Amino acid sequence: MFLRQYVPMAIAFVMGVVFAVQYYVPHPASEELLTTVNDWLIVVSGFSMVLGLASLMGSHWAKVRRGVPGWGYSLVVFLGILGTLAVGIASKGKMFAGEGLTLTALGWVYDNMLVPLQGTVFSLLAFFMASATFRTFRARNLEAGLLLTAAFLVMLGHVPLGEYIWDKVLGFLPPKADQVMGWIMNVPNMAAKRGILLGVGLGMIATSLKIIFGIERAYMGEGE
Amino acid sequence: MRKLAEKILSMDRRAIYLLMASAALLPFLTGPLGLPSRVSPEVKAVYDRIESLPEGSPFLISMDFDPASKPELYPMAEALVRHAFRKNLRVIGMNLWVTGSGMAEKILSDVAEEYGKKYGRDYVYLGWAPGATNVILGLGQDIYKTYPRDYYGNETSGMPVLEGVRTLKDIPFMVDLAAGDPGIETWVVYGKAKSMAGGCTAVIAPGMYAFLNSGQLVGLIGGMRGAAEYEALLKEMGKATVGMDIQSTTHVLILGLILLSNFAFFATRRRR
Amino acid sequence: MTIFLLMWPLLAFGLELPLLSASDLPGDDGKAVLLLWPRMPYEASEVFYVVQGAEGPEGPFEEIARFPSNSHYRTERRAPFWTWRKGKDEHFFVVRTIGGRPLESGREYYFRLGVDLGEGPSFGPAVSAIPKPNWFDFKKLNNLIFMVLLAGVVLWFIGRARKKELFLRRIPGLDAIEEAIGRATEMGRPIYYLTGRLGMSSVSTIAATIILRDIAKRTAGYDAQLKVPHTDPVVMAVCREVVKGAYLEAGRPDAYNEEINFYVTDDQFSYTMAVDGMMVRERPAAVFLMGYYYAESLLLAEVGASVGAIQIAGTDAEHQLPFFVTACDYTLIGEELYAASAYLSKEPALIGTLRAQDVGKAFLTAFLVLGAIASTIGVWAGIEHKIDYFLDILRDFS
Repeated sequence: MFLRQYVPMAIAFVMGVVFAVQYYVPHPASEELLTTVNDWLIVVSGFSMVLGLASLMGSHWAKVRRGVPGWGYSLVVFLGILGTLAVGIASKGKMFAGEGLTLTALGWVYDNMLVPLQGTVFSLLAFFMASATFRTFRARNLEAGLLLTAAFLVMLGHVPLGEYIWDKVLGFLPPKADQVMGWIMNVPNMAAKRGILLGVGLGMIATSLKIIFGIERAYMGEGE
Repeated sequence: MRKLAEKILSMDRRAIYLLMASAALLPFLTGPLGLPSRVSPEVKAVYDRIESLPEGSPFLISMDFDPASKPELYPMAEALVRHAFRKNLRVIGMNLWVTGSGMAEKILSDVAEEYGKKYGRDYVYLGWAPGATNVILGLGQDIYKTYPRDYYGNETSGMPVLEGVRTLKDIPFMVDLAAGDPGIETWVVYGKAKSMAGGCTAVIAPGMYAFLNSGQLVGLIGGMRGAAEYEALLKEMGKATVGMDIQSTTHVLILGLILLSNFAFFATRRRR
Repeated sequence: MTIFLLMWPLLAFGLELPLLSASDLPGDDGKAVLLLWPRMPYEASEVFYVVQGAEGPEGPFEEIARFPSNSHYRTERRAPFWTWRKGKDEHFFVVRTIGGRPLESGREYYFRLGVDLGEGPSFGPAVSAIPKPNWFDFKKLNNLIFMVLLAGVVLWFIGRARKKELFLRRIPGLDAIEEAIGRATEMGRPIYYLTGRLGMSSVSTIAATIILRDIAKRTAGYDAQLKVPHTDPVVMAVCREVVKGAYLEAGRPDAYNEEINFYVTDDQFSYTMAVDGMMVRERPAAVFLMGYYYAESLLLAEVGASVGAIQIAGTDAEHQLPFFVTACDYTLIGEELYAASAYLSKEPALIGTLRAQDVGKAFLTAFLVLGAIASTIGVWAGIEHKIDYFLDILRDFS
């Protein structure tokens, strides 16, 4: 009970108060303390990577051992991890050899596998956005109508073809498409964002105070 | 009419995906649309700031993005580095995202080769170091302690390109190109650069306007459009300008789909 | 010619050089020196002040800065009135480096000020100062006072909430949790809970783990299947403890399984694709997306919608809110995510902090309005320098 509950609470309190005060102390010792604790965080994250890797390898190995449907993909995970690790060690962590013109094996994996894969996944966003807007951007009520109109105007003003269409159809109006888009982004959009950010900021302070003072202990798990 | 409206409303999402793919491929078939992007004040502000730097000034560019954000931020980085080399500035490259190291290195070496710039004298690539916040804090205290060696293992102290540069305060202007966190907000909070601008993906650009309006950012290049505007200022047609054609066709398709779905929605609603 | 006409009395009768004073810059890390000197009658844009510094009394003096004499007045420094007197009767300059070398704390440096009429600077006598680090930055005093006040308000309302029931408005997203879990139980399909992209140092992730505890308790009670894929191993470790504790509290330790929380990868899109694949194969009945998200938000939410899951999202990432609002059934916006722990548990202490947040917001709104009115009056009446005293209280000087 003491170790599982009171020690973590004491650590949270001490560290919380120390680093709240640290912000107001310009002395180099204060900045040194911040840098040191950030280094500790990196070290802890490094060790916790082992935990994560063990969990990942464990669950996939269980799938391979049990021969569950799709166990072949778990083998691919192992091949990917071990293969990239081997290639990275052989290339000494460098993407380019010499003066930066020749790709190492790691650089080849990066350029021909990671970059296209990440780009492909990110590009799915365009398709999902199209299907999401088709499904939900319907003027069911006033709020939905406002959202739809704002999105319409912003998208129109964002691209050269949209500006061209605006000039042809609504060119008689004084503001141009990009000016309307700029106004929507800089005025009502900014106001809403600032409002949300103000609330989020206060919420963060309150949540942090709750954790520092031990009022909120749910994140500790057992021992309630 | 009602049946048609209901069919439209229940359109298979795969049909929408097919339409999107067609819209994206259309510019490759028709050729460039040739429509110019109007330059926004926040992009012009970045351009003007670099233009105002005297020759030989150090210029820091932190390329904090991964391959997923390459379409938006790679052309932006290329355009900025081109501008810096054109102005004969001393370019200091680095990144806070480990997966972006390869791209950052490629941008600097490719553009440097174009302009005949020499490594170590005209530009340096510091590479990636762990602990984003620590790296920025460290740069604020001593660049050589934070990066004792560059990406290639060369000692940074004594490098001609870093002469007179000890901390971020010795760098008159820097740009952070970010796809998320760590990114522009991290630099604004922890960095103490004399003057800073940001470049980011279109989706997080609206959130960065708060820093622009408060003066913490001198300018902001948002998304591929921002990159295309910067290329227009440099009077060069790069990847961003080409990409805007695809954005144009896909945006107009989405607008068309929105109009279609609302038309169908109201057609069925009236009947009810 | 203009300079000659303006300056001929000085050239004829001798230039009076300003009296320079040097001292440690207060409220800093001990690597800067503050130079002050009075305004002189001959100042003009054509006349330059030259600041030089040296590490010894005899030099060699190196040029630190050169600027027009009608600049660098006290008014131009960004500092609050309680640490810095504003005005145009004195000049200031903050020295941080000499010859590109940063100043060192505890070491004596020498400075001199020159006036250049165009024939080369004439220098006054050298003065010295020792930069020292300070333990408190008084520029942030207003910030500290506000923080202490807010903490006091939070603690006061916690005490008040213990005595009197405080009203909480409905949050539909949190009310729908019961419905979502019930649906998953009836359909016999799993519940997916995602905690976002950031680690435990993010307040939104902490809020997500708090909500997870409540959801895990309910799924234990209903005997539904819960899956929590993770992108951060530290968050996974914390969530394992949270879920275990929740199952114990629900009296279902037998139903607990370590594999409820599992690590996928920390790479953004690899994680997204892995989770999307799981959602397409297992077709969860309910998906909870709580925490901080980036570009993967729509990729996750849209796939969840396509498999027919009821989706409840909660994030303080305002740039992803439009995607969640579009693709999810319920969305907790910003601080509603932080309010979840109070809302779900109904504990007085937690509800009290929500009320304190509201009071804080009321004060902020009042200051916004007052500040806007004050700034406007300042500009209209030409008394901006007086209004600055009030606005300084509200400014951030970090």
